[in-house]
Amino acid sequence: MTDRRAWGWVRHLQQGGTTPWADWTGTAEPQGAVVPGAQQLELVRRLNLAGVPGPRLVARVLAAGAPGRGQPDLELVGAARESRFGPRPVDPATVPDDELLRVAVGILAEDVVARGLPAPPKEGRPRPWRRHYELHGDPELVAPIRAYLVARGRPPGGGNPVHVILATDLGRMLAHVWTARAFGSGLPAWRGWLRTVERHGSLPAPIDPLVAARTRTAHAPTNRIHVVFDRDAVPPLLGVRRLPEPQPELAAEAPDLARRISGVAGLLVPDDQRKALMRRTVRPLLAGEPGRPLSVPEEHHGWLRDHAARITDGLSRAGYAVHGDPAVLAPVRESGVGAPAPRSTLALAIRMMLAAQSGVDTTDEEG
Amino acid sequence: MSTRVLLHVGTPKTGTSYLQDVLFRNQETLKDAGILYPAERFDSHFLAALDLLRLPWGGLELDAHGLWERTAAAVRAWPGTAIISHEILATASRTQVVRALSSLGHPDVELHVVLSVRDLVRQIPAEWQENVKHRRVFTFHEFLEAIQDPDRAGPIASWFWGVQEIPYILDRWAADLPPERVHLVTVPAPGGPPDLLWERFCEAFGLTDLDLDRASERTNPSLGSPETALLRRINLKANHEVLPLRYRPLVRELLAHQTLSRRSDSPRLTLPPQVHPWAQELAGAWIDEIKARGYHVIGDLDDLVGPPPTQPYVDPDQPAEAEVADAAVDAIRALLRENGRLLGVEEELNSQLEETRQALERSYLRPSYLARERIVRKLDSNRVGQWLLGLYRFGRGRSSRSA
Repeated sequence: MTDRRAWGWVRHLQQGGTTPWADWTGTAEPQGAVVPGAQQLELVRRLNLAGVPGPRLVARVLAAGAPGRGQPDLELVGAARESRFGPRPVDPATVPDDELLRVAVGILAEDVVARGLPAPPKEGRPRPWRRHYELHGDPELVAPIRAYLVARGRPPGGGNPVHVILATDLGRMLAHVWTARAFGSGLPAWRGWLRTVERHGSLPAPIDPLVAARTRTAHAPTNRIHVVFDRDAVPPLLGVRRLPEPQPELAAEAPDLARRISGVAGLLVPDDQRKALMRRTVRPLLAGEPGRPLSVPEEHHGWLRDHAARITDGLSRAGYAVHGDPAVLAPVRESGVGAPAPRSTLALAIRMMLAAQSGVDTTDEEG
Repeated sequence: MSTRVLLHVGTPKTGTSYLQDVLFRNQETLKDAGILYPAERFDSHFLAALDLLRLPWGGLELDAHGLWERTAAAVRAWPGTAIISHEILATASRTQVVRALSSLGHPDVELHVVLSVRDLVRQIPAEWQENVKHRRVFTFHEFLEAIQDPDRAGPIASWFWGVQEIPYILDRWAADLPPERVHLVTVPAPGGPPDLLWERFCEAFGLTDLDLDRASERTNPSLGSPETALLRRINLKANHEVLPLRYRPLVRELLAHQTLSRRSDSPRLTLPPQVHPWAQELAGAWIDEIKARGYHVIGDLDDLVGPPPTQPYVDPDQPAEAEVADAAVDAIRALLRENGRLLGVEEELNSQLEETRQALERSYLRPSYLARERIVRKLDSNRVGQWLLGLYRFGRGRSSRSA
C-alpha cells in the first residue's frame, strides 16, 4: 500500500500535479524497481509549480542522480519500508534547497553541453592604424570593452602597447572576480571564498591595481602604464571615441548557479570546452535575469579599506599615470545581496530548466 | 559480453589501494588467466567512479570525463571474467547503481558484488584521518558528534555512512542480486597473519592459483595521533594558500604518506573508550542483518566487532605538544629536502635556459638583424612610427601583432 501510494504520487507529478507528499493519498501501480528519491520528486513538484515541464524533462529529473557530495537519494516518509539502516525517510517538502539544486544542476549541466557553443563572436579585420593596447584589471569591466574593440578591428597587443588598468571600488571588484571565476572553472560559495581571500591577506591579483601596474613595469616603461578609475578616461587612451555601455550587473543568483553548473560540467566535457560553454553559452542565458547584484558584507569592509589606502599610497609613490580619484577604491555600502540564497538560486535553476526544454532563453537579451 | 563481472564497491581503508595496485601491475598475467582489469593508470577505476558519481574531487575529476562508460565498454567486450574495484563506489545512489549495473551488462551477465569491510572501531578514526588528509579541519570530537547524529544531516555524516554502513551499501548495490553473489571480505582483527587479508581477497576474486607480483608500494598508510593533529593544524593555516592540485603531492603524499606515516612510535589514533559501546552495538546489528540476508562471507563476521579500547586513550584534539613539535620537525626536514631537490631542478633548468638564450643571442648578433631591430624600436616609440609599422605589417600580410 505504502509503495503504491508513492507510485501514485510519482504518477501525479508526471501529470503535472503539485500536491505535496504529505497531502497525497492516491495510489498507482509501480513503474520501476525503485521509487525515485525525495529530492528528485520534490524538484518535479517545484517544476510543476513554476511551469509546464514536458514528459522528457520530468523523466530525466526522476532518473537523475545528484552530482557532488551531499545527501544520498532519500526515501519518502510513510512509503519506505521499515529499515534500521540508511538515512531516515523524509517529507520531500523539508528537503533543503541545496539538495534540490544538486539534482537541478546535474540536469542543467547536461543541457548546456547538449546546447553547445554559439557561433564565435565576430572579429573585425585589424586596423593597421589602431592604437596598441593591453587591458588589465577588473575582469567584468575589461571583458566587454575588449570584446567591443576586437569586434571593431582593434584587438589587444602590438608593439609597445599602452597598458590600461581598470579599477573601481574594491568590494565591487571582488564580486566581479568571483563572478568571472564562477563562469570559468567554478569555485566555492561567495561567503566562504570571501573569508578565504580575507584570511589570505592579499587581493586577487587582477583587482589590485598596484600589483597589476608593477607587473607591467617589467615589460613596459612607466609612462605607458595607466591606472584608470574614471571610465571616461579610457577612450582617449585606447584611441577610440567611445566605449560600449557598461554591462548590467548580474543578479547574485546567476554566478551562484553558474559555479554549480561549472562543477558538474567539468565531469562532462574537457576543461577548455567547459570554460567556453560557461562563458559563451551559460552567461548569455543568465545575463538578463532580474535581481540585485552581489555585494561584500560590511564585516569585510575594514580590511578592504586598508587595502584601498595601501594601493592609493603605492600608486602615488610609484608615479604611474592615474586617471580619476583613487578614493573610489574604498568599499561602499551597497544594497546588493550579501550571500545568494539557495532558494533564489533554485528558482533561477528551475526557470532555466523550463526554458531549456523549449529551446528558448530565460531572457530575450544576449549578453 | 563478459561471462562474469566482479564489482568491488568498498569500503575505504580495507586494503583496497594495495589490491588495486597488484591488479593494475599484473594485468597481463590476469589476462592470460582470462581475467580483465581494465585500467590505463593506477587510479583509472577511481576516475571512472568519479565520472559515474559525477563527483568533483579537487580537479582530479577533469581527467575522468567519459571514463566509466569506457571502462564498462571494455568489460562488456571481454569474453571472460572482469574486475572493477574502487571504494568510493560505496557511496553511489540507487539511480547511479542502476546505471552502473546496466552499463556492465546486468542482468544478462553473472554479476557479483564484493565488499571488503572492517570494524567501526578502526574505521571511524581512519575515516577522520582520511578527511584530514583531504584538507578538512574539523576536530575528531566534531567528527564523532556528526556521525553519531541520528539525522545524518551534514556532509560529514552522509558521506561517512554512505561508504561505511554495510547493510545500507548493499541495499543499494545488491538489492536484486541473489545473496550467493554478494561477497563480504572481512579485514582480520589486529595481530592476525599478515597475508590473511590478501588470501581472502584472492578467494573473492578467484586469484588463488595465480602467480602475481605483489611488490606493491602503493598503500594508504595511517598516521599516529600527534601526526594527524599536526596535519589538521597545517590545513587550518595553509589551506587557503595551497591549491588543491598542489595539496595532493605536497601535503597528502610528501608530508602525510612519505614522512609522517613513518613515525610508527607515536600513539595511534583510536576510538575514544566511551564511543566503543555505541560502535559495538551498531556492529552487532550489522552482523545480525548480514547473517539474516545470507551473504557469502569470506573471513569471520566477528572481525567486525573490533578490538577493545586502547589504554591510555590519546585524544588527537588535545595532543602532547612535544610530540606534535617532534612530528613538525620531521615535516620541516622533509620539506627542506624536497626544496633542495627542487632547487637543483631549477638550477638545471636555468642552466639549460641560459644555454638556449646564448644560442639565440648569437643568432641575433648578425648586423642586419641589429639594424632592423634599431629601426623597429625607433618607429615603435612614436605614433607616426607605429602607424607606419602597422601599415607595413598589414601590407606584408602577417599577423597584426608584433612577434
